[in-house]
Amino acid sequence: MMGKLLRVELMKIRRKGFWFLTFLGPIGVVALQVVNYSVRWDYLRTLSDDHWLFYLENVSGFTPLALVLGIAILTSFMASIENETNAWKQLLALPVRKTSVYLAKFTVLSGLLFLASVLLCLATLVYGLTLDFGGGVPIIELLEYSFYPFFAALPILALQLWVAMVSENQGWPITVGVLNVILTYSAFSLPDWAFWKWPTLLNSWEEPMYSGLMGLGVGLVIYMVGMMNFVRRDVK
Amino acid sequence: MRALASEWYKFRKSGSLWALLAAPLMGFGGGLISGLDMLEGININQWYTPLFGANLVYGLLFLPLITGVWAGLVCRYEHQAGGWKQLLAAPVTRGQVFVAKYAVIMLLVLVMQLLYLAALYAAGRVQEITDPFPLDIVWKSIFGGWVAVFPLAALQLWMSMMWKSFAAPFAVNVIFTLPSILVVNSERFGPYYPWSQPFSMMYIGGSTDDVFFIPWEQLLTVVGGSFVLFFLAGYIYFQRKSV
Repeated sequence: MMGKLLRVELMKIRRKGFWFLTFLGPIGVVALQVVNYSVRWDYLRTLSDDHWLFYLENVSGFTPLALVLGIAILTSFMASIENETNAWKQLLALPVRKTSVYLAKFTVLSGLLFLASVLLCLATLVYGLTLDFGGGVPIIELLEYSFYPFFAALPILALQLWVAMVSENQGWPITVGVLNVILTYSAFSLPDWAFWKWPTLLNSWEEPMYSGLMGLGVGLVIYMVGMMNFVRRDVK
Repeated sequence: MRALASEWYKFRKSGSLWALLAAPLMGFGGGLISGLDMLEGININQWYTPLFGANLVYGLLFLPLITGVWAGLVCRYEHQAGGWKQLLAAPVTRGQVFVAKYAVIMLLVLVMQLLYLAALYAAGRVQEITDPFPLDIVWKSIFGGWVAVFPLAALQLWMSMMWKSFAAPFAVNVIFTLPSILVVNSERFGPYYPWSQPFSMMYIGGSTDDVFFIPWEQLLTVVGGSFVLFFLAGYIYFQRKSV
């Protein structure tokens, strides 16, 4: 059943802008650095000795923000497929479990975000290679900066999906998304337990992997709570 | 005028006014987080720290993004179940509807600015700031932020009328707002980017000689110019939109 549901969800998201946004996010993040480096490479060159690492840090300044806003947009899009056409009743009248529908939507969304992370990794590498950094490519750091934010943002994905799926008025999830991105932007002032901070990979242990692991764990918990709430609700 | 009253009525009844609370939340939280320890020992008005800290995030991200939410909310009623047809069958011109919806957005942003101001003041009081509240400067910032939103609201209204979905106009908003984090750092490009104007006009460190924190020519050309462009484009789009 899960396979069929996934295929249905994938079919529903065609030609609605999902794929476009999935590509635009990572390309946009690197494009900002293309502008940044072409305008003031001479100045940026003086700021650090390890040009590659500095470049990765620059890219990852925008990754969390794009990720959090992308999550808000995609989850709201996902929920509005059924919301706008009042199709919840039709979908759930089919012999499918509500938990499976929820899981299918979550899986497709995290798949899109994971694809965005792969694209981010590639785009970062390609543009980095065109610049005259010298030294080898720091593969480990490149992978860390590209993929840990995805895992660290899973709590936000689970939260947004929950809010989007149970709100009739999609103004709710979008406002929550705005507040999420504000909190992520203020990550410096947040304590370590605040999951908005995790996508920035900053923590007091200075170990980005912890941000990713905590994201995976807490993301699963919030996902379960959201799914339970969705299952218990009446279909409007 | 009646079109405006009906827009306001629809909005009030839509149960979306709760979103106004996000602004004071921002002001209070921002005012508290950006605490006082950072400027200890420096002899300036203590109010500047929370004002700086909160205005940065508020003007740079929150204000442009939330304006898009308002634009989406004022169109939500019509996007449901053929509301556009019903509304435009009433004896109102399309122009009146567009202007009325725009006016509601700008009114909401103005209320939001005032709530934000109140929350900032409260945050400062909680921290027991004893210096006099620099009201003359803060007014410029609050009112300037409102003025800077004029073109952004017009674009978002246009986008919200075009798409049924809430997320699509928001995506446009995000695409233009995120780069302004980088743009405001640039002295060359910062003044010309409409989405970084809310930040520039709320940034209390600017020159205080003019009425606002940015020079008049920048206000008129960038804010005024983009306002005329977006407003007219949206207005014309709505005249021709098939419902």
